[in-house]
Amino acid sequence: MGIKKVRPKPQTLVEKIFFLDFIKGLKTTIKHLWKKVITVDFPYEVVTPPIRFRGIHGLRTVDGTEGPEFESWVKRLKIKPPEIGETRCIACKFCQAACPVPELFDIQAEKLDVPEDHPHYGLKVMTVFNMDLSKCTFCGLCTQACPTDCIIMTDIYDLSAYTRRNWVLDKDMLTQIANDFVARRGKEKFNEISQWREDQKLWPEYDKTREKLWDFNMPKLGPNYQDQTA
Amino acid sequence: MSWISVEKAKKLEERFGYPKVSESKGVVSVEVPKDKFIEFLKFLKEDKEYDFRMFIDLTIIDHGEKEDPRFQGVVILFSPSNQERIIVKTWALDETLPTLTTLWKGAKWAEREAWDMFGIKFEGHENLVRMLLWETYPYHPLRKDFPLEGIKDTYLPSLNETLRGDVLEGMFNYDRMHTAIPTMEDLEITQKKRMPVKTSQIVLNWGPLHPGTHGTIWFLFDLDGEYVRQCDIIIGQLHRGVEKLGENVNWQQFIPYTDRMDYIAAINENHAYVLAAEKLLGIEVPEKAKWIRTMMAELSRINSHLLWLGTYALDLGALTMFLYTFREREKIMDIIEGISGARFTINYFRIGGVFADLPYGALDAIEHLTKDLPKRIDDYETLLTRNRIWLSRNKDVCIITEEDVYDFGLTGAVARASGVPYDIRKIDKYDAYGEVEFDIPVGETGDSYDRYLVRMEEMRQSIRIIQQCVAKLRKMSKNDPYFFQTPDEKKLKVTIDGRGMKLPAGEVYASSDNPRGELGFYIYNKKDGLKAHRMRIRSGAFYNLQVFTKAIIGRPIADAITLLSTIDPVVGETDR
Repeated sequence: MGIKKVRPKPQTLVEKIFFLDFIKGLKTTIKHLWKKVITVDFPYEVVTPPIRFRGIHGLRTVDGTEGPEFESWVKRLKIKPPEIGETRCIACKFCQAACPVPELFDIQAEKLDVPEDHPHYGLKVMTVFNMDLSKCTFCGLCTQACPTDCIIMTDIYDLSAYTRRNWVLDKDMLTQIANDFVARRGKEKFNEISQWREDQKLWPEYDKTREKLWDFNMPKLGPNYQDQTA
Repeated sequence: MSWISVEKAKKLEERFGYPKVSESKGVVSVEVPKDKFIEFLKFLKEDKEYDFRMFIDLTIIDHGEKEDPRFQGVVILFSPSNQERIIVKTWALDETLPTLTTLWKGAKWAEREAWDMFGIKFEGHENLVRMLLWETYPYHPLRKDFPLEGIKDTYLPSLNETLRGDVLEGMFNYDRMHTAIPTMEDLEITQKKRMPVKTSQIVLNWGPLHPGTHGTIWFLFDLDGEYVRQCDIIIGQLHRGVEKLGENVNWQQFIPYTDRMDYIAAINENHAYVLAAEKLLGIEVPEKAKWIRTMMAELSRINSHLLWLGTYALDLGALTMFLYTFREREKIMDIIEGISGARFTINYFRIGGVFADLPYGALDAIEHLTKDLPKRIDDYETLLTRNRIWLSRNKDVCIITEEDVYDFGLTGAVARASGVPYDIRKIDKYDAYGEVEFDIPVGETGDSYDRYLVRMEEMRQSIRIIQQCVAKLRKMSKNDPYFFQTPDEKKLKVTIDGRGMKLPAGEVYASSDNPRGELGFYIYNKKDGLKAHRMRIRSGAFYNLQVFTKAIIGRPIADAITLLSTIDPVVGETDR
């Protein structure tokens, strides 16, 4: 078992008389005096969050990139088959089941009011999807539980609002957030069947503000494993 | 694993007759009758062969209202010479137990907590007052008949939004009735009960909201001039009932709550919890997940120590340090954010591995950091280690002896600075720690200066571990699994999102070496279930903070800041 004793030698007389300890310390601080400023000047400068960032939620819409099991899930839960542009949510409430604070979700589905001979007779649609983000812990478990990759987390982190009710997002707002995010950065995050891409980057490389955090000495990102390619 | 063998425990059975030995997942527990409890523990402590000198934890299990006897006391002990642990249990008949403070002084706070949470009286305890809640609070919240949402008996309308009329509809409004909150009189009673006998004229209150207390801790100093004669600490201002929550949420769902205990080193909190749950499940996580977890835990340790160093130096008047360490912290948080998606409350680990593989470029960024960091630490050391002001404020200040370490159950850097090489990473060899090389830094005198040096050296050792992890991960394949794959879905279901995951019956105690000491999770599960029956969190910071009340005695009040900084508690973890 490696045990390492720590205790430096006491100060020598020379050190004490000539204040060598202070001089050494001053040398370090003076060295820093000539360095460039590394503070990011928020809000005039903004660091783009990494693609995995867990920010405000969104509800994705059907856009032709659903996973292979999407249709079977729709059938199983008796949901009206959604068209392009409609929500992917099938009101299965798996997100609520996986949530550490389940009461933050309010999900409801209603049966369609159509005559018996209509092809959609007896099928349901999701009508209410409220999320009270003031209770959210942003742990990301809901996104991992979602069978249709509907609920996602975006890179928006600004939750400030004047009243508490503004923290409750309804389904239209959530859909809008997701559409905006997928249009902006969807290609970076998801693959052709809406799952996380394997080659997600640690940080977006087009973001030049991040250099400041790293003293203008950014690491060059390369593959992690032997058999990984860019 | 570091537990007493069943054969050795059976010898106790032969010797005394009354102990009953049981074993579950490698955890050996001995049940003894209540009247023989102290005698048995005394033997374990003083016998040369067993030598269970070190106090780890004391807690209570509530078996439910209908059971008789209802409450069971659980004591976890560690033997430094044999490097093994044991659990001793006894039934708390008539809701009382004999006090352990005659054997280990460190049991004082644990007993107060047990009284607070379960209403178990400890006979012979010097001042059995509440630990986390205020003195006039009428309930004992960890009892099974206490509801999770609390008893709403206080009218408190102010939490509601009245801007557009007091409308109590929708998700964003709270009930007008609230659970009890302490009033000023309650706090006054609490304060008086904590320190019933004053020895001098002045009792100085320090905190609860003081920048030097690193959170919300309320100190009471009984002062003679400038010297402390008596001290007590009132904690609990950040008590959120994490243990109660742990008994009421599903297994994976509890991980975000552990993030919020020691928020400075959230990854390490997750680590301890998943280790305990995996032990109860009896699964082995994939190789890649082990190495990723080890690497992330060490990154988090450096992150935590950098914050400690910055604020510690800031408290002692060296502002520069704070700016320098936060610069380095930012880089580590940046990497963690890129990997897991969050900077602070990370929730990256899962029971069974991690939830996602490393993103492209993660290892390069970490490697870049580990090359840069040793130079930075050298910089910090030139500023502080031999500085004469630093020396005079730290050297021989508030010495914690080896005896204190065993008595109070001190762990982490505080124990190591007192010359006890107690490191769970070496003892339990969890995850990949058995395969990496690192040294345990150990101090000599146990003063504040040693605690400072030990933590500085720990950072260097962490860098060493991270470098080994990166080298090992480089050799792996991108297709290696990072999450446990169950051989049979019907028998053993382990899911990333935690839905439908059941853990078997049994009891385990597993711990990890947190930056703040040993963080242990004692899980007791009566039958296979979606939720734990009892989730006990053995907080290293809680026990380490307890020694403050002893080490400060006879020292001037200015040393309180040094001592508190070098003990380095995080209130989220002490209060839970």
